[in-house]
Amino acid sequence: MSGTAGALYETTLGPLPTLTSKPTHYCAGCEHGTLTHLIASALEALGARERAVLVNSVGCSVLAPDYLNVDAVEAPHGRAPAVMTGIKRARPDLLVFSIQGDGDAASIGLLELLNAANRGDPITIFLVNNAIYGMTGGQMAPTTPVGMVTTTSPRGRDLALSGPPIDASKLVASFERPAYVRRVFLPVMPTASPEFYNARGALEGARAVRHAFEVQERGGFAFVEFVSTCNVNWKMSVLDSKRYAAEVLAPLFPAGVLRDRFRMESP
Amino acid sequence: MMPGQTVALDRAVVRIDAERCKGCDLCVVACPHRNLRLSTGYNRNGYHPAEFHYRGDRGECTACGLCYWVCPDYAITEVAKRRV
Repeated sequence: MSGTAGALYETTLGPLPTLTSKPTHYCAGCEHGTLTHLIASALEALGARERAVLVNSVGCSVLAPDYLNVDAVEAPHGRAPAVMTGIKRARPDLLVFSIQGDGDAASIGLLELLNAANRGDPITIFLVNNAIYGMTGGQMAPTTPVGMVTTTSPRGRDLALSGPPIDASKLVASFERPAYVRRVFLPVMPTASPEFYNARGALEGARAVRHAFEVQERGGFAFVEFVSTCNVNWKMSVLDSKRYAAEVLAPLFPAGVLRDRFRMESP
Repeated sequence: MMPGQTVALDRAVVRIDAERCKGCDLCVVACPHRNLRLSTGYNRNGYHPAEFHYRGDRGECTACGLCYWVCPDYAITEVAKRRV
């Protein structure tokens, strides 16, 4: 243990050198921070920190390079998959990945995302789907569930007016080339007891992140969508937002493996 | 609790950086033994940080690491087990 109890205790989980000491700008309880932690842990487990390149998007994830000790490139809004394709083709030895939001990847950058999936370039995309535009103040996103009140849909999302929410993972999995497509429910899940929440999502997320990097090393396109919460823009308390996510988002965006060409998930 | 302070129990140790904590409650509800709680004091940013608190009725910390993985601010900096 690096601290006080060296002789008596052995560290099972410790501070990660891939994470900087800068405090995150994410709101309390935001899954963006959890995902940053999972990525750092996966990069260290794979020993890939020195050759990892983060292509960051526009949205709450725009400051992610401040928290991860890896090289980073800022892509134009939504264009991270195109930038990653360029990097990967010029330097195939690098491990490129992006952290994108649903407003970035499922709205303005949907074209780049779908074309990258169609080409099947060996890149890794992490999509944080919190069903709202978080950074700009809670506008309706393409992934907003029907009936959800946002600043641009004050009477709730209208099915006739705006259509049903876009399912990005299904879209990506509809192409032939992607090698790994998975959706993870990242927030803690309410249980029968109001005192306890199920934290399985974070552990599943850790596995999905590691597999997504391994798939890229084996030459496949990896896409992992993390169903997340945005309690500030949903205008709820942290735990209420987790409950809402479990009730509304989990059935709408069911967690699961949509594509697993390299059989990462089977034992 | 002071930042970086270690609370030692028989089986395991959880180290919390109280200055990073935003008091979101996630580690508190994720702990299967309910051994964490939000402090009544404040940290520098005005949040009630999480602190280790052995409640005693559900068992002591087993270093399962759920709080470590679930923390969005990676304020749970270290989980350690007692050497046998």
